[in-house]
Amino acid sequence: MSRPLNILALVTDAWGGRGGIAQYNRDFLGALAASSDVGAITVLPRQAPDAAAPPAGVKQLPARRGRIAYSLAALSAAVAGPVDVVFCGHLFMAPLARVVARMKGARLVIQTHGVEAWPRPKPAQRAAVEAADLVLSVSRYTRAAVQGWATLPPERLVVVPNTVGEAFTPGDGSALRKAWGLEGKRVLLTVGRMDSAERYKGHDRVIAALPELAARHDDLTYVIVGDGDDRPRLEALARDAGLGERVKFMGAQPEATKLAAYRMADLFVMPSTGEGFGIVFLEAMACGTPALGLAAAGAVDALGDGELGIACSPSALPAGLAAALVKSGPSGETLAKAVQERFGQAAFRRSAAATLGPLSAAAS
Amino acid sequence: MCGLNGIFAFNPAAGLPKEAELLATREAMRARGPDGVGVWWSEDRRCGLAHRRLSIIDLSDRALQPMASADGRLVITFNGEIYNYAELRRELEGEGVRHRTTSDTETLLHLYARDGIAMVRRLRGMFAFAIWDQAKQGLFLARDPYGIKPLYTAGDGWTLRFASQVKALLAGGQVSRDPEPAGLVGFHLFGHVPEPFTLYREIRALPAGHTQWVDAAGPREPVAYVNLAGILAEGARHPAPAVEAGARVRAAVLDSIRAHMVADVEVGAFLSAGIDSGALLGLMRDAGQTDIRAITLGFDQFRGTAEDEAPLAAEVALRYGARHIVRRVGEAEFRQDLPAILEAMDQPSIDGVNTWFVAKAAHEAGLKVAVSGLGGDELLAGYPSFTDIPLWRRRFGPLAAIPGAGAAARALLSAFAGSATRHRPKMRGMLDYAGSWEGAYLLRRGLFLPSELQRLMDSDTAREGLRRLRPLSAIRAGLQPDPGSDTGRVCALESANYMKNQLLRDADWAGMAHGLEIRTPLVDIKLIENLAAVIPRLAPGAGKAALAAAPSQPLPEAVVSRAKTGFSVPTADWMAAAGQQPVDTAPASKGVTSRRWSSVVLSGATDMDALAA
Repeated sequence: MSRPLNILALVTDAWGGRGGIAQYNRDFLGALAASSDVGAITVLPRQAPDAAAPPAGVKQLPARRGRIAYSLAALSAAVAGPVDVVFCGHLFMAPLARVVARMKGARLVIQTHGVEAWPRPKPAQRAAVEAADLVLSVSRYTRAAVQGWATLPPERLVVVPNTVGEAFTPGDGSALRKAWGLEGKRVLLTVGRMDSAERYKGHDRVIAALPELAARHDDLTYVIVGDGDDRPRLEALARDAGLGERVKFMGAQPEATKLAAYRMADLFVMPSTGEGFGIVFLEAMACGTPALGLAAAGAVDALGDGELGIACSPSALPAGLAAALVKSGPSGETLAKAVQERFGQAAFRRSAAATLGPLSAAAS
Repeated sequence: MCGLNGIFAFNPAAGLPKEAELLATREAMRARGPDGVGVWWSEDRRCGLAHRRLSIIDLSDRALQPMASADGRLVITFNGEIYNYAELRRELEGEGVRHRTTSDTETLLHLYARDGIAMVRRLRGMFAFAIWDQAKQGLFLARDPYGIKPLYTAGDGWTLRFASQVKALLAGGQVSRDPEPAGLVGFHLFGHVPEPFTLYREIRALPAGHTQWVDAAGPREPVAYVNLAGILAEGARHPAPAVEAGARVRAAVLDSIRAHMVADVEVGAFLSAGIDSGALLGLMRDAGQTDIRAITLGFDQFRGTAEDEAPLAAEVALRYGARHIVRRVGEAEFRQDLPAILEAMDQPSIDGVNTWFVAKAAHEAGLKVAVSGLGGDELLAGYPSFTDIPLWRRRFGPLAAIPGAGAAARALLSAFAGSATRHRPKMRGMLDYAGSWEGAYLLRRGLFLPSELQRLMDSDTAREGLRRLRPLSAIRAGLQPDPGSDTGRVCALESANYMKNQLLRDADWAGMAHGLEIRTPLVDIKLIENLAAVIPRLAPGAGKAALAAAPSQPLPEAVVSRAKTGFSVPTADWMAAAGQQPVDTAPASKGVTSRRWSSVVLSGATDMDALAA
């Protein structure tokens, strides 16, 4: 290895941010910060609503929300010190990141997640991706989509999958069952936002399959954690299907409750068609709870090609659910261990650090 | 010739590869290697290698593959021949290295152990191989300088798969069939799919003369270890006097022929009535080979006419004391074989039918190895392109420098000479392309021009395909550094494009389908190094004349004079007929014929896909 790399990270959010992308940025940049090949990491977020301290080796600048303010801050951060690598956390910021990287003679790394990177993007974004030294994707599906519209050597398209936090382990969820009145119930769980603009998570599909399943399993209950503007429509859908108390909308929940929910559920289910990856599958399985999703988009990766969770086709969903409810898979501990081996923090750190090899070689 | 394949789950997120997939890919290459099979797995089962063998050197089971080094640290799966392996072996043994077999495969292992990835620079031959390096937990892939042996990779970001054939990778069932528009566009432009592209986005050729390293960080970009244009450029800096051409060609080709005779089985020869194969046969005899069997294709419809190559070939065979086998072929057999031809054709190609039949004949004669004259026209300036391309460039270069001249001329031509140019669309492209080397080459070898693609496919596919393929810059890349002479430039262009992507690939699939290893002594890295100083000053026709005179008994004069008028083969007509389109009233130029045949092979390729899906 040559000298340590100084990294400037242009991100939507990281420390103090909410949601999957912020989580990924923390995981990735945190993993890089732990590497001896990396010098200083400077993070410039668009937003940071919560207070949070980045780890040693990472300096997070104040958030700049406006586009112009953000661009100016990025340029001044670039001028402030040496930059070997510009990490761009979102396709929308790729043209800016490209300018900064060129200005500093730095390597350009662009992160792609999901739906934002699937269709052919605007010309400036596409040009930035094609100029990148490394394009990271969270799943094989997203990588293939990028390869479909970007002309660059396939070796520059690297998959660093989402990872699962160390807090997600098998454990006792009985207290939450009691609190939510689920004792003695067979619980299906979905954790995810209900966004009327997206509607791809598949809550509707589960609700549609419930009446038939309930006929065979009277103790069946579907618990939905999460919130969003599509919730009233889904509530109406459940009412109209005569499912009444069988579908419980629990709203957004703090992390600790979410963890307990994963632990107490019998089956995690999210027949989504639009996952960039689907980190919630990993969280559920890391808690020892079997998971079921569709063999569509990035979810296939989170479900480990069907080796960790169940990946069925949309038409086979009702049958797949019925089978999953009676099938006994591996023990929770075994499942959790298998998930950790492939997607745990250790595996993630290895993947993240591996991306540095080509970058250091290029920078030296 | 053998078939190799492997799977490496390099990303920690990837599941373990399945043996069923490894074997499905291997068994799709059954024809490449009927003599033996093998499978090897790394201890953690994240890397699996497989092999199907056609045994040529060291026929014993000790030489089965994949082959591990004595300490188990290295494992290889290899397709091809290393012609200088005996010399390398002596060198290694001089340093105390002990061999357990007499195979060239084992020498590769020892050479890698000593030199690492730099070992490829020492190899003379045709090869594609993969070496698993246990200590480095990585995979080393390599392909010979000219790309005689194929190697395809398919990476999805978790797992890298590789095999000798595109169709074998698909047979494994885990590789995406999403289309690659650059492959489709390339096929329509050239009549073959130009590497590194294939018809599938996920599958790429490891480019000729490149190596690739794969470890936990994934596959690295392929790295070139040899540069044909560079070799020619070096030669042009110290050109040999034209009077030395004859002696130098004789010495260099004889040296290559000697190297290409290494085998533990009989080496036969393809023999047409042309200069290349005839001269090679004569030189084989000079190299000490006796009792050579030579195979000639005779087309039924030419029997008794001046077009029949068999009588002249018989004269050549007689002169060199070869046992001559004439294999007669007619259109009925072509029609009968067509489904098998399309199946064996790994990627669509508008050529290869002649090679199919001559390989079939060699197989029927019991041969496993045959020498082919492929490459003579590229090396020794035998094609009309060696005069056309420099001429076009001189003539159109100054005009092409005027902005917009091409578009204006095209508009004028279609307005005033529409019917005259309809059958010759290339005429309209002259001003656009002929001003540069790469443009003139595209014009010379292309079936369609980029502007015509929109008629063949939807415009988005055409646009994206061209954008990804970048045909002109891809061709131009083969001229870096500048070979330094007109002959050298066309030699580099023909070698890196038509010969590599069309002739050599056709020889591979057509030979493979019959369990026949086709050796090409005129496609040899040592040979071009030896002749690089001769090529710049070759006058038109001088190179082939020197080759004809190279054997101690020169080729009959009739062969030399006949070569000047050229040959016709009826396969082009058969192909056109297979296109089920009425033959044009205008004289069917090669272009028109090829355009029809291209639709047959392409639909053949996609039908196979539909069947397999």
